[in-house]
Amino acid sequence: MTTNRVKTGIDGLDEMLGGGFLPQTANLIEGAPGTGKTTLGMQFIYNGIVKYNEPGLIITFEEFPRQYYYDAAGLGWDFARLEKEGRLKIIMTSPEVSQKDLEDVGGIVENLVTTMGIRRILVDSMTHFERITQNQTELRAIQYGFINALKREGLTSLLTKESPALLGEAPEGDSDLAFVVDSYSILRYVEIDSAIRKAMLVLKMRGSDHAKDIRQYDIDTQTGFQLKAKFEGQEGILSGSPRRSMIDAFDEAFIK
Amino acid sequence: MKGDPNLAGQDDFTAKLMNDMPTELLDFVKTKVNSFIKWDLVRFFYENPNTVDTAENIAKYAGRHLSAVTPELEDLIAGNVMDKKIVGDQVTYSLTQDKAMRRLIETFVLACEDRHFRVKAVYHIIRNMQ
Repeated sequence: MTTNRVKTGIDGLDEMLGGGFLPQTANLIEGAPGTGKTTLGMQFIYNGIVKYNEPGLIITFEEFPRQYYYDAAGLGWDFARLEKEGRLKIIMTSPEVSQKDLEDVGGIVENLVTTMGIRRILVDSMTHFERITQNQTELRAIQYGFINALKREGLTSLLTKESPALLGEAPEGDSDLAFVVDSYSILRYVEIDSAIRKAMLVLKMRGSDHAKDIRQYDIDTQTGFQLKAKFEGQEGILSGSPRRSMIDAFDEAFIK
Repeated sequence: MKGDPNLAGQDDFTAKLMNDMPTELLDFVKTKVNSFIKWDLVRFFYENPNTVDTAENIAKYAGRHLSAVTPELEDLIAGNVMDKKIVGDQVTYSLTQDKAMRRLIETFVLACEDRHFRVKAVYHIIRNMQ
């Protein structure tokens, strides 16, 4: 097993991932709107550039690049400067064009890998591939081809996917993509004591051990994605409406 | 009206006033960004400089009809403002990689922050459309 890791540079997350993502793998982050998928992805790219000297590429299928510059600037990350320095590229395109580009010799991504030495890529979001075809088998083949092409280019990718479920588990069969990728993490809203908190769980990581606990996190306006302690004394967190564990309830009722 | 010497004089004065901008920008407005759709497209690609997409998707981003956007994109390609590339079976459009042209586009967009410049640019576009 390789010990070489592609670190996210986010405190606590690399530990959850057994040291970081494995090189040249596709890593899916799925979550509801506002859970911080894009922020996490931007941080993966930004830290790659400034902490590990690995140029990055962001392919967006929905948000305009100017929104990334704006959001990144709010977190103190100067994406425009990094682009000028040739260490970052933010490309807006469509899944159809992106898919064909990766099949082409001398395509845009291939050229950027060669000229800029791109090592990391954020694809935001894979959900948009669903507009290419309604046929699930065909969609899976397209996604598989796309992910393999990224690996061929030697890229470690972070792929985002929208989950339709705001609270609780996503509908069954919604995450076919989870079978195709190398690692699969979910971001969820959780309601505790009449307040919404956010939870992260790494569900799958091929070829590596990873943390199994469900961790709290926040999106800090100064520092971005901040992983916190795991949920203590709660059960059924992924249902979106956890309850106190039996032991905690017993303690609360008879001991405290 | 054409025969009215006073109005003719006024037209000359207006034209002179509206031409009062740096030569390269005047040429850019008259020959490259000579429609409102082109103006929108140039602004969009300036703000999102690495966009590579089909005319259909660019039309969606610009909030315009494909039939209106496609000929304007072709004009911008002819004017060296944009590039066209075939990716697989898709025709894609992107901002030119020409550094001098990119600088000119930036100069134009920044100049548009000034209301007086915008008025002059609008004047030339309307003149071109007539």
